[in-house]
Amino acid sequence: MGDVTRIIITRLGLGVLTLLVISVLIFGAVELLPGDIAQAVLGQGATEENLRALRTELGLDRSAPVRYFDWLTGAIVGDFGNSLLTQSSVTDTIAPRFANTLFLAAYAAVIAVPVAIILGIIVALLRNTLFDRVANVATLTSISSPEFFLGYILILYFSVKTGMFPAIAKLSDDLTFIELLERTFLPALTMVLVVVAHMMRMTRAAIINLLASPYIEMARLKGTPAWKVIARHALPNAWAPIINVVALNLAYLITGVVLVEVVFVYPGIGQLLVDAVTKRDFPVVQACCLIFAATFILLNLAADVGAILTNPRLRHPK
Amino acid sequence: MNYFVIVYYALLIGGSCLAAYFKRREIFLALFSLTLASFVMGIVGGQDALWAVSIAAGLLALAAGTAYAFREFLVIISGTETAKALRTAPLTASFGMFVIFTYAVLGIFAPVIAPFGEAEVISQSFAPADENMLLGADQLGRDLFSRIVYGARNTVGLALVATMIAFVIGVLLGMVAAVKGGWFDQLMGRIIDVVMSIPGLIFALLLLSIFGTNLIILVIIIGLIYAPRVFRLTRAVAGNVVVMDYIEAASLRGEGMWYLIRKEILPNSTAPLIAEFGLEFCFVFLLVAGLSFLGLGIQPPTADWGSMVRENATLISFGEITPLIPAAAIALLTVAVNFVVDWMLFRSSGLKE
Repeated sequence: MGDVTRIIITRLGLGVLTLLVISVLIFGAVELLPGDIAQAVLGQGATEENLRALRTELGLDRSAPVRYFDWLTGAIVGDFGNSLLTQSSVTDTIAPRFANTLFLAAYAAVIAVPVAIILGIIVALLRNTLFDRVANVATLTSISSPEFFLGYILILYFSVKTGMFPAIAKLSDDLTFIELLERTFLPALTMVLVVVAHMMRMTRAAIINLLASPYIEMARLKGTPAWKVIARHALPNAWAPIINVVALNLAYLITGVVLVEVVFVYPGIGQLLVDAVTKRDFPVVQACCLIFAATFILLNLAADVGAILTNPRLRHPK
Repeated sequence: MNYFVIVYYALLIGGSCLAAYFKRREIFLALFSLTLASFVMGIVGGQDALWAVSIAAGLLALAAGTAYAFREFLVIISGTETAKALRTAPLTASFGMFVIFTYAVLGIFAPVIAPFGEAEVISQSFAPADENMLLGADQLGRDLFSRIVYGARNTVGLALVATMIAFVIGVLLGMVAAVKGGWFDQLMGRIIDVVMSIPGLIFALLLLSIFGTNLIILVIIIGLIYAPRVFRLTRAVAGNVVVMDYIEAASLRGEGMWYLIRKEILPNSTAPLIAEFGLEFCFVFLLVAGLSFLGLGIQPPTADWGSMVRENATLISFGEITPLIPAAAIALLTVAVNFVVDWMLFRSSGLKE
């Protein structure tokens, strides 16, 4: 296990390094602002005195590297400073919303992952049949549709026309778990539709790739039944690509959530980010971007590590 | 039981029998499973469900017919070489080409086709459709149909420009990295790695919050966000070409880097690059639509499909489907481009699974 842990630690280190560079990017991007934050907040007509006062308040009189390290050390312990508009702590605003977003993503993932993998395997086995072609066109359509299109179609049919599910995912504290699941069903379903399509296509490609290898042909030639070829011969080797597919799509879920949250007015971090961008509330934007990027990198890292753990060949790079 | 239901089942069962007789196994399976599914749907959803199936089948047949006719049309008007390639195109691909062609006509001739201007208020807000307005009015009383036509020009045009920027930057840097190699290649590779580990939409939101939603800035930002993907592909494709003998011969002849890129590498990597252009366009187009939907893309009063969906979304809660038309227009174009790209990838790789 010695070299496995070493590889994983190297990957983790690389991930942390990437995140550091991204934090510089996110911080530096705001520095590129024409004028500075104080100017952007107060507008063109601000007097010199007001500007100076705000600059001192925000600590803009210090040099950029000093402020960056301040911001970064704060971010590591979970303190992202105060919002420019409401003066409240960014962390307190983000924390409950981030939990909501994670809940929605987890809800979608729990439905999507098994469905996508099973369908993907079926489609791979039935490749080049009519069913496969229909599935191909259907998944392609689902991928090509903007998230808000799928969301509004679901609202139209499941909420407006039949009234089965609420169109607006409003949350309150006194909801039971079942009610919560019902309220968030449509946004979750929207994400499921997009992600299942992606995952199915990737699973199909991975399995077909695998079924083309000589040892599968050997198993077939020696007369192994079809299900046994899949279960005993193909699947053990298919885990690596499938884990990869799942992790990559979960990463996709995290970002696709922004549009879905806006469609369903879901109180998540994506909605917050969009609001903050419109109102140019930079500390909130920076914090949200950093959180999104960190989640994205973490899931990609999980994909890497999962692939290494299930595929011994990757442990000995050429 | 009425005539519609009888004709419906007679057609389905007759069709499956014919398919079985002519040994078309797949068509038989499809038709017969549709018959069986119709029994269930007829019991659950009644006659309406069967109508929906018939309408869907009719639309599908219409699309297939259009695609077939358009392919024949293209075969006739094009030269022998192109005609040969076109004849092998699947119906999905020619359907895609037909859709792209229609959108191009809509976009180019928008002022001629649209009955009203894109910002012209002609009626009350949310007025229903009448003989003047094909699809009714939007939230400010502007003709929805005209705005959709103008949207073909604005939204697609913007996405095209952004894709081209991404392509010029990505291809240029990718080619240089492949030819030069060494530290430049390494450095570019690492920078691209970092940029690609930030989700595109999030990165776009960050940059837009800083630079504001100016049209030129929007195009440049989106181009920069998608350039890394083009860079990766170009680097990979060009990397395979650079090791060829004729490249070495050319560089021994004393040709410079620009000559190598322009005359030797680019002509030998066009096929994957053109397919990538289509794919990239889809991503960019969806991002543009998403940003406009969030109110951060193309600004009013310019007609744009993404923001039109958002502005008219209240109509959906009254059971109207008109706000979905611009969204469907986005989806249709993306699907069409994907169909064509699929075919081109298939052709260029010669893959037959």
